[in-house]
Amino acid sequence: MATQAMKPQGKLDERHLARQRWARAGWIYGAMLALGVFFVGPFYVAFLGSLKDNPLEWPFRTTFAQVLPKNWLAAWKLGQQGAGNPWLGGFAPGANIPFEVSYFVPEGTEPTPPTVTVPERRAGAGLGAIFDEVQASRYARVSPVEEVSRRPERIGDEVGQIVTYRFTISYPRSDAAQELPTAARLPLDVEAPRGQTFLTATLDPNRLERRGRVASWDSAAPGFFGYTFKNYVRVFREARDPNTGSSFFLRWTANSFFVSLMAVLINLVFASLAGYALARMYLPGKGLLFALIILLMAVPQQAMFISNYLVLRDLSLLGSLWGMIVWIGIDMAKVFLMKQFFESIPREIEEAALIDGANPITTFFRIILPMATPALGALTIMTFQGIWNEFFKAAVVLSGQQGNYTLPLGLSFFRSAYGAAGDWGLMLASAFLSMIPIVILFVVFQRYFVEGVSTSALKG
Amino acid sequence: MPSSKRTEALYALLFISPFLLHLLIFFIFAFVRTIWFSFTDKTTLRDSYNFVGLQNFINLFGEERFLLALQHSIGFMLVVTTIQTFLALATAAVLNQRLRGITFFRTVYYIPSVLSSAAVTVIAIWFFQKTGFLNTFIGWVSAHSPVILALVGSFVLAQAVQVGLERMRGLPVAPTDPALAAISAVVAIALTWLLGAMGLVGPREARPPEFTWLTNPDSFLGLPIPLWSIVMLNIFTTIPTLMLIFLAGLQDIPKSVYEAAAIDGASPVQQFFWVTVPMLRPVTFLVVTLSLIGTLQMFDQVALMGDSAPLNSIIVMAYYVYNSVFSGEGQIGMASAAALVLAVLTFVVVFLQRTFGISEKAH
Repeated sequence: MATQAMKPQGKLDERHLARQRWARAGWIYGAMLALGVFFVGPFYVAFLGSLKDNPLEWPFRTTFAQVLPKNWLAAWKLGQQGAGNPWLGGFAPGANIPFEVSYFVPEGTEPTPPTVTVPERRAGAGLGAIFDEVQASRYARVSPVEEVSRRPERIGDEVGQIVTYRFTISYPRSDAAQELPTAARLPLDVEAPRGQTFLTATLDPNRLERRGRVASWDSAAPGFFGYTFKNYVRVFREARDPNTGSSFFLRWTANSFFVSLMAVLINLVFASLAGYALARMYLPGKGLLFALIILLMAVPQQAMFISNYLVLRDLSLLGSLWGMIVWIGIDMAKVFLMKQFFESIPREIEEAALIDGANPITTFFRIILPMATPALGALTIMTFQGIWNEFFKAAVVLSGQQGNYTLPLGLSFFRSAYGAAGDWGLMLASAFLSMIPIVILFVVFQRYFVEGVSTSALKG
Repeated sequence: MPSSKRTEALYALLFISPFLLHLLIFFIFAFVRTIWFSFTDKTTLRDSYNFVGLQNFINLFGEERFLLALQHSIGFMLVVTTIQTFLALATAAVLNQRLRGITFFRTVYYIPSVLSSAAVTVIAIWFFQKTGFLNTFIGWVSAHSPVILALVGSFVLAQAVQVGLERMRGLPVAPTDPALAAISAVVAIALTWLLGAMGLVGPREARPPEFTWLTNPDSFLGLPIPLWSIVMLNIFTTIPTLMLIFLAGLQDIPKSVYEAAAIDGASPVQQFFWVTVPMLRPVTFLVVTLSLIGTLQMFDQVALMGDSAPLNSIIVMAYYVYNSVFSGEGQIGMASAAALVLAVLTFVVVFLQRTFGISEKAH
């Protein structure tokens, strides 16, 4: 800090002071880094959790199957072999998937090939279990398991050997004219006899059970996203409307966009009109209106939503996105924002226009509004962010109509639908997916966000 | 009135009428109607209702859950406002430097405030699970406590020795001298590493976590443990906003004031308490007021917790009102009365803060 240098330091010489300044800056950067970890760290570990097969595993690992490049490559290749789709994988007719598994066999035990099965497995808990999907087990053919290699190995104090087995899973094309379906996943269980311990495989398994004897994969042909971002893919694949079968999450995203953009549009037009009238036009009772608005800003939402709920019910707007839009309406804070902006532009410009004989409406839309672009930009971003994150009004208006939920309400629905089963992977993944638009907006327009808070709070 | 004035007023009315209409229906009418409903026995199911006078208020203060909500709301408000005001001011003071890259950090810290309460709360519920990250982290710290103690101990020792040596040489160094502290930090790390390599200090074995946050029936300082989880969550998400407000206030303080204080011989700590804090009074007033209103009306985080925690351990006033309307018969009369209690409480708290707390004017 510059003020440090001003301090009378007695016998401390200039070199010493310079050293102190450098060290001070170092400590401040260290403190800022620590604060950064505090504010962003929780999101980072939660993101790691969202990639895991079991986000609640203990102890918490930062290195696991889904973050290893070795598995990314393998998943990519297997997805290619399974359905020609390296990203999302699948199991299509004509697939031919070679797979290797290695076991540690202690000395004195005769290596025995494991049993390989393609089980019938329904997708996840909650909503996913409702739908019938194409089961890979109906079409998959597993070749006999053959031994590839043996080499001596020592694990801890146990002496033994590593035995590698290979098998191929294939999906024969039918001779008949009928089209065979493609399965989205190829579940796989490999069970070794007692005494043998699972070591490695072409792709790391999603679960290891019975002391490493049973290894199981959610899909042996997952593709890159299907393996690394499994929970994210599940959000779209599994959480579907039981009536229409369409993805809930996509629907909610569209709803959120619709409500937010409508709110932005309404506020762009009407908040700036009202702000202009308050800033520049002659209006009796203006002072009274101000006092009233300030007072109303301190009244809690809860003291008003009951009547608003009944009003929307009488208008049959409950459960509809329009109901939410009507209630959001024109935000007082945005009116104030625009009022402040219009007070800052010089009066001469409008006066010139008015002398030219233009009426206030033309003047406003032709001359005033185009000048207000920076303020309108701030208004757009603040409104969009506020409404995208709005939970209370959505919970009051939309509750019960799952198809019409916006994302925050949808997340709360996921929490009740998947929370009981402890399916944290899907819940965390949906939380992160719902943040994407705001994060993009934030990265691009961060100045508006950061400056918006300080200026609107201090001057409003 | 000249006709041009009248025309202008008509146009102004036209411009402002959509806003006024919305204000009239969704705020003024809504508030008046809530006051009216609070004296009736209206429910969502029935259309007809009767005037019951103050019966709703009397019933409310006899109901266990309402009293619980009231107690939680007030406790939550006091705890969260106190902690987050201090932390936001401290963070802002750290960030108020003219150093390279400071804008980047400012932006990064704002992230928790930008994201939706729904997404953050879902993540937080995961965080607070029994084997969630919070318990994992606490377990890690407690397992590594010997190492951390050794680190801190050797740091303090190294710093004391260095400051002592410098003072013997006649240099008036402060005990917190940053340059010496940097050397002490390096010495402490090396020493701890050495002790670890010698096998004298090492982490203990971590045990699976036992403590539960969201389903814990116990209380701490009068508030249930699950509510403390929401306290932490709320502080985490609100600090960034308050910090930015403080930061804007800090940057408005003229540098000359600090320079004058420095010439008078004030140390940085003294400058903070005798210059920064008094000059920030108006901003602090704003932050405290915003924080009081925000915490009293906190709804999202409780509603989103849902059945992750027992309702009676996290219920607050705002959620009580919502829950009364949307559960059972939909007791609109009771809910309105509770909403009015919340509104009055808000006004009283803001008034008290204005009168007895941090005042608006700078000294």
